[in-house]
Amino acid sequence: MNRIEALLSQVFTDAGTYDSIKVTFQMAFFSTGISSFLGIFWGLLLERIRFPGKGIVIRINRTLMGVPPVVVGLVVYLLIMRRGPLGSLSLLYTIPGMVIAQTLIITPIICGMIYSYAVKAAPGVRVFAKMMGASKRQTDLLLLKEMKNEIYFAIITGFGRSISEVGAVMLVGGNIKGYTRTMTTTISLLKSQGIFQEGVVLGILLLLMAFVLQCLTDFFRKDDNVNENY
Amino acid sequence: MKITDLEKNVEEFCLRIENLDIKEKKIHGIIGGNGSGKTMLAKLIMGILEPDRGQIDYEGLDQRDITMTAQRPYLLRRSVYDNITYPLEIRKIKPDEKEIDEWLHRYGLYTKKKQYAGSLSSGERQILSFIRAVIFRPKLIIIDETFSNLQPDTVALIEEWILKKQENDPITYILISHQMSHIIRLCDKAHVMYRGSILESGNCKDVLFHSKIPEVVRYMADQVIRMESV
Repeated sequence: MNRIEALLSQVFTDAGTYDSIKVTFQMAFFSTGISSFLGIFWGLLLERIRFPGKGIVIRINRTLMGVPPVVVGLVVYLLIMRRGPLGSLSLLYTIPGMVIAQTLIITPIICGMIYSYAVKAAPGVRVFAKMMGASKRQTDLLLLKEMKNEIYFAIITGFGRSISEVGAVMLVGGNIKGYTRTMTTTISLLKSQGIFQEGVVLGILLLLMAFVLQCLTDFFRKDDNVNENY
Repeated sequence: MKITDLEKNVEEFCLRIENLDIKEKKIHGIIGGNGSGKTMLAKLIMGILEPDRGQIDYEGLDQRDITMTAQRPYLLRRSVYDNITYPLEIRKIKPDEKEIDEWLHRYGLYTKKKQYAGSLSSGERQILSFIRAVIFRPKLIIIDETFSNLQPDTVALIEEWILKKQENDPITYILISHQMSHIIRLCDKAHVMYRGSILESGNCKDVLFHSKIPEVVRYMADQVIRMESV
């Protein structure tokens, strides 16, 4: 017991640990916020409008849902490096730069999930809204409310992906202690230095966060089991 | 409401209504075998489907004054009470909780008032959808096989309510049903559909019992045999 306490105390008295947790949450919060707005908007729009090549757009989005984060990290790095097209913005090795990379990774995931849910839910909701005499605005609002649980689920999935990502943030953030070092990049660094115990503690902390997120997603999905509309 | 030269083609099926006069404040019954186009006609009247040709003259009736209940009604992911108040909510009408409680008491749903609507049985869902349709006092209600899963005593209660309401404050009903008993007890007018067309229209009892059209006579004979065998 004393050993565990000593280990925890060692991990948490190190200022870098707190900073890495803070950076992780800052990055995850902003990237999930932006991705949620974009993903929900594009997902619903994609369901609603018809245009030539829609099938290809959906397929491209599905491909991007599984894109390796390192590839996204590399692309963002090339864009924001000093000699890159966005180099003048000085985003390399900053949290906003990491947020851009994370947003590019998470947006297709949220968009794809929202699109899949909307394809199932929207026709029934629209017919119902018509039967009730709802206006177009009221119908759109109703669809959002009816998909509330799925929207939460997509956001939580995006957040979970964001806090657990390592490849892209390492490339774009540079793993600078107290500035762009996240929990995952800290674990990666500790492993390369042979400091396994602290790495394991941080890993357990990440697992606990993932568990809390999983509980939240289960909470939002439980209503689906009794809903027979879809 | 007048329907003239209405045509709608869906795959191999063609609905063609040359002339259909829906008299105001009367109960109209639409009968016909499976696949005769009854529900398609209802959806065209509701504006859920767009006709390929022809028109529906609503004679000043606003789309928001028309509603429809379906055999498998869509229930919002809310409580029973919140489902009932939805049409009032979108019309910015304050719900009269006492009136809703009376409705729920009458049809045995009061104990489920705060319950999640998705957990109701199919019969309870149909009752809920009927209450939700009449609560905002529309001028035309299309009832599409809504009573099919209800117990006979519940159906009798609903029929009694409709007939009593018609004496004091009549509205227009279009009742689509396979059950001849509903049509005979409730309807002023009857319209027989066969393979996408209206074969005969007129006073309910004349059409049902004194028709000269062979298809109508055959259909009626089938229904009578079925009723007797039950």
